[in-house]
Amino acid sequence: MSARAHGVWWRWGAVGALVAVLAALPAIVGALPASDAAVPAADLRDAAVGSADVGFSGYAVSAGGLRLPVTQQLTEAADLFSDRTTMRVWWRGADDHRVDVLGAAGETGVHRDAGGTWTWDYESSVAARGEPASLALPSPPDLLPSSLGRRLLSEATGGELTRIGARRVAGRDALGLRLVPAEPGSSVDRVDVWVDRATGLPLQVEVVAAGARQPALDTRFLDLDLGVPPASVVAFTPPADARIVPAPDPLSAALDSGRSSPAVQLPAALAGLPRRPLEGVPPAVGVYGRGVTQLAVVPVSPGNTSGLRRALHAAPGSVVGPAGVRLAAGPLAVMLVETPDLRAFLLAGTVTLDAVAEAGNGIWRLRPS
Amino acid sequence: MIGVELSKLFRRPRTWTTIAVLNALPVLVAVLVRLTDLAPRPGEGPPFLSAVLTNGALYPLAALAIVLPLFLPIAVAVVAGDSVAGEAQAGTLRYLLARPAGRTRLLVAKLVSVVAFVLVTVLVVAAVGYLTGTTVFDVQPAAGTSVSGTSLTQEELVGRTLLAIGYVTVSMLGVAAFGLFFSTLTDSPLAAALGALAVLVASSLLFTLDAASPIAPYLPTRYWLAFVDLFRDPVLWRDLTRGLALQGVYVGVLLAAAWANFTTKDVTS
Repeated sequence: MSARAHGVWWRWGAVGALVAVLAALPAIVGALPASDAAVPAADLRDAAVGSADVGFSGYAVSAGGLRLPVTQQLTEAADLFSDRTTMRVWWRGADDHRVDVLGAAGETGVHRDAGGTWTWDYESSVAARGEPASLALPSPPDLLPSSLGRRLLSEATGGELTRIGARRVAGRDALGLRLVPAEPGSSVDRVDVWVDRATGLPLQVEVVAAGARQPALDTRFLDLDLGVPPASVVAFTPPADARIVPAPDPLSAALDSGRSSPAVQLPAALAGLPRRPLEGVPPAVGVYGRGVTQLAVVPVSPGNTSGLRRALHAAPGSVVGPAGVRLAAGPLAVMLVETPDLRAFLLAGTVTLDAVAEAGNGIWRLRPS
Repeated sequence: MIGVELSKLFRRPRTWTTIAVLNALPVLVAVLVRLTDLAPRPGEGPPFLSAVLTNGALYPLAALAIVLPLFLPIAVAVVAGDSVAGEAQAGTLRYLLARPAGRTRLLVAKLVSVVAFVLVTVLVVAAVGYLTGTTVFDVQPAAGTSVSGTSLTQEELVGRTLLAIGYVTVSMLGVAAFGLFFSTLTDSPLAAALGALAVLVASSLLFTLDAASPIAPYLPTRYWLAFVDLFRDPVLWRDLTRGLALQGVYVGVLLAAAWANFTTKDVTS
């Protein structure tokens, strides 16, 4: 081989080796094994549910695959479950935290304090103040792995839980906990929660719908720093030039409608799911079920009924029955029931289409008391 | 040799014409926004463009965000693609290599001149943006508002703007490295520039696809807009550090490839 050819091979060989090393680095880091521990499923659940007071700050991302039919009032809540949401969080406690949803050109920050929430939207320069409510649409803090994991595990029974090994999440050892709901009408196949071995903090949650291979919702921390963040980072004072408004509440119209509608006594059970007690909501609003299998029934005001009906009819896969139109988006079933006396109810929950149809028939047969 | 290359680059009228054209778009956008008072709706348009209506001092950032996705990388790709291939096409490359300095030093000199072009271009865009913003829009004299809604002092605003200028400059180094590498592969400056642009267009397209999310962290354009993170409070360093590291990897690998190719190729023109 000539000296020139040798030089060519030497130089390109060095470049190839550099590329190979750099390309292999992510795979090597990703293959670092996680350390498992012999923690029983019930103990791990208790640790996760009791982690609300663990202080931390972090960076999380959630990816939802639910293609929800939306109306103008529900767009933001639907986006949380259909898009990729990137969040920064500073957590001092359940009533003292900050969650920023990051966008390429701005951010929407939710600051929770003892009296309620400030929601800051940079691009519209609006600060909205909201009060705590017993029934509210999902917001970004609800999508954090820590919050969602605690919520989903809070009512799990011992028979529904099993251990599933360990993995590394956000650079920490996370112990796996699998929840398989016992209710026959559940549309959730399983929920995998990966819990921080040291603190009990849920670090990743995957919700898999019945019959699906990919998670309908996957939320996880990418970075996590344990330790209580400073109060100054969590607190919020609206900027001087911001427009201050009351926080919009899409459910208020439904609740008002429930209060003003003729007295309706919702049944004690729907589709085999018992009704849950709820404070501060009118009798026409109800939540049924337990754990990860729940169904909400909310009256729809006449002004919103036609828009909702159009959105559901236009959605692919919608099924029209005598009681109304129903639709499944991943594990979430939605049904609009319009009764013969022209009242309308929205049913939404993690139940099968058959179960929501059965519940819809139960609502359709209701008469004012 | 570096001085010669810098002098050659900045004496060319087309260099300054490119920079001037690059500034025309942000100026036009500022005039249109001022005349119509129509800022982009939330979630649409370049970062900071809606904020300049209340504080024109932020317009350097809006100007950078306007040129960053397309105009700036085109300019950098054209200059970088021309660096070696332009000499070959003009028939001057073999005379340059006749000097005792060597091919590696010539490559380094070309790289330094491209980096200088990137830096000067970004600085001019920011300076023209500042002049435009403070002339066309109202200015808050004391402070500004961070993306997170906290107050920023004038010193903090200036410091973070300078960091953003530096970050955008580094972000363009990957484009420059692609252009320089392709410039050593061909005698056609146009082909080299188009090659670099093809990589960037492919990267931008892949970034929008969910199916490409496993490779998204390694796309050269992935972290370009992370300079916005400098204006969050606290500053979000995550994507900024990853963006700097990623550009460093691309620059290192592509310069090594350019060096391996250029130092062993037959130069006949």
